[in-house]
Amino acid sequence: MNELIAPALPFDMKPRARAAVADLKLQQFVGNATHLKDTQRGGIFDRDFGADYDLLRTVARDTKQYALDHLDELLARFIERAGESGATVHAAESAADACAIALGIARAHGARSCVKSKSMVTEEIGLLPAFEAAGIATLETDLGEFILQIDGDAPSHIVTPMIHKDRVATARSFVRELGARYTEDPTELTMIAREHMRGLYRAADLGVSGANFLLADEGAAVICTNEGNFDLSVGGPPVHIVFVGIEKLIRGARDLAPFLKLLARSGTAQPLTVYTSFVRGPRRAGEHGGPKELHFVLVDAGRVGVLASGKRDLLRCIRCGACLNACPVYRKVGGHSYGSMYAGPIGAVLTPELERAQGGGDAGLANYPDLPRASSLCGACYEACPVKIDIPKFLMHDRARLRARGLSPKSEGATLTLWRWLAERPALFRMAIGAVRLHARMLGQKDGGRAWLKSAPGPGAAWTTTRDLGVATGEGFRDWFVRRDTKGGSR
Amino acid sequence: MRVALFTTCLAEALAPRALKATVLVLEHCGVTPEVPLAQTCCGQPMLSNGLPADAAALARRMCAIFAPFDAVVTPSGSCCSVVREKYAGLFDAGSADRAAAEALAARTFELVEFLETRLGIDPATLAPKAGVASDAPALTCHDACHLRGIHRHGCTAPFLSRAACGELRDLPDMEQCCGFGGMFSTQFPEVSTALGEEKLAHVASTGAATLVASDTGCAAHLAGLAHRKGVALRVISPAEALAESLGLLARGDA
Repeated sequence: MNELIAPALPFDMKPRARAAVADLKLQQFVGNATHLKDTQRGGIFDRDFGADYDLLRTVARDTKQYALDHLDELLARFIERAGESGATVHAAESAADACAIALGIARAHGARSCVKSKSMVTEEIGLLPAFEAAGIATLETDLGEFILQIDGDAPSHIVTPMIHKDRVATARSFVRELGARYTEDPTELTMIAREHMRGLYRAADLGVSGANFLLADEGAAVICTNEGNFDLSVGGPPVHIVFVGIEKLIRGARDLAPFLKLLARSGTAQPLTVYTSFVRGPRRAGEHGGPKELHFVLVDAGRVGVLASGKRDLLRCIRCGACLNACPVYRKVGGHSYGSMYAGPIGAVLTPELERAQGGGDAGLANYPDLPRASSLCGACYEACPVKIDIPKFLMHDRARLRARGLSPKSEGATLTLWRWLAERPALFRMAIGAVRLHARMLGQKDGGRAWLKSAPGPGAAWTTTRDLGVATGEGFRDWFVRRDTKGGSR
Repeated sequence: MRVALFTTCLAEALAPRALKATVLVLEHCGVTPEVPLAQTCCGQPMLSNGLPADAAALARRMCAIFAPFDAVVTPSGSCCSVVREKYAGLFDAGSADRAAAEALAARTFELVEFLETRLGIDPATLAPKAGVASDAPALTCHDACHLRGIHRHGCTAPFLSRAACGELRDLPDMEQCCGFGGMFSTQFPEVSTALGEEKLAHVASTGAATLVASDTGCAAHLAGLAHRKGVALRVISPAEALAESLGLLARGDA
């Protein structure tokens, strides 16, 4: 797998974050795109739902939560109904199982080529490397994923995977890899990719996709795309495999509406994705399109473990990417700083949790010790989440686990423990505050009624690497308050 | 109504003027706040950094200290949100501590929120009699992200504007965090600083030389960054903006 999203562990986020902040192009591309999408998201919800937006989110939250709370029942129903429609349903407990199932299907058909539409779970299980190793040439058909594939790059955003790149880079890649003429025109670039892909769709032995929702009542999957590439990948090849995490189950089409209303608006500020495709069963007698064989691979890969944990809420995520767009930290550090296919706020909690639930135990957090800390806890992610996942709460939960297991900096813990100890002793606490103020007044540069420290001692040192520490030089508040009181001032 | 001032440790250390202003504004509005001497830190740093048991110990103190009061008011957005949103979750459901935490949460307010929702003050009545003073500065206002949780994000500027504290200029991209985030500011200083610089650039684009920030931490972060960069920017709290406008504090005092 690509080292950018599957790095050596334990993963050190800081060097990548530092590099990203200094990368002016990344700042421009990611900053502009995320701000724009976040603003448009707010705008379209205001326009279309107004005050009902919150109600819609509540309905979606509760609907998905209901599904998670009844997952056994819904799984059984899905398996039964999908079977009735002629599809084959596989259960994959691990990423390796999921790949093995796919390789088995491919082998049975002698498949040498595959067209794949965008899917996060296939990134998660490492399907592409497994296929490549088995000699199955696989084409990413989502335009963004295609560009990343020919560049040997990795996705940095759940919904807009090449958010960190621009047209110029794409134009150069198309010249280099496809022998195309140089153009920066988006329509022309799209036509070049389309030209390249059309023949490959027709020739492919196998189609692969993910799914946005699984409908238990109907035994069907719902796939939302903007490029129609899913429809081509399911329409051409004789065999199609849908990979899908078990948390994508909902009761059925009767519960789908709120999610369709929320998904595209949250992700890209569209009322709906351009294509909303339903796939149910293989081609039937008399039908002209569709695969002769349809497989669903239901992927656990830690989800059952998450379901049984205190982080069950995370499985409500519909992968809209709104939290990434809203997150100030994601905007600055970009997706690759998270060292996972799941970047941003949701990735920061999901990545270690999935690893834990797959038997990694504490290694989940030990391998990603920076992720829970890489947040100002501003709450923008929670506010943007269409299914109301309280991501800051889970980040704080993980910070506590890090601390309890000795995985956060010891000096920081010592400072906090001393702070608490002092805080339980008001007289000492006031003396400590007085000492800070005295230190600043004696050593700081006086300016505008404040004393400014250019380099603070101890725990303050990290603060003054980039900022001055300003302390008001005037009378302390309590002295002032007591003085007014005894003078009988205004009270 | 017995009202307590929840001073917060950060404001006592860095921004005593914000506390003085809070007292003066409350008194102007007919409320005489008391300052319980035993109060120290609310536990936010421990809570945000993986020490919930330590935070709970301090939360218990806070609940006891503020138990006698009908309302608890603070000028600091994030400390307020911790009491309001996080305290109850530190204790088991059904426990006496939980009940005390929930009761305190229900009585704790950020200053502007207290004036507007609890006292029901029409900000127009806080406007200076003679209209906006000629020396009133142009202001721009950044609300603390933690005000989101108590549904007060974006409420400060309209209040100050209606109270005629000065010409309030819209801060572009006010929604984005300033990058402070408590210890995040020292754990990821480059990211924190980059966000702060973006905020300062937006502040500069308004042309206002005074920034109103509704949290002591955000204010210290932004003022410290501006000072390091040699940018002339005055950063004050909403309480100070009100107190200055009402003539209770002289503009420019520290």
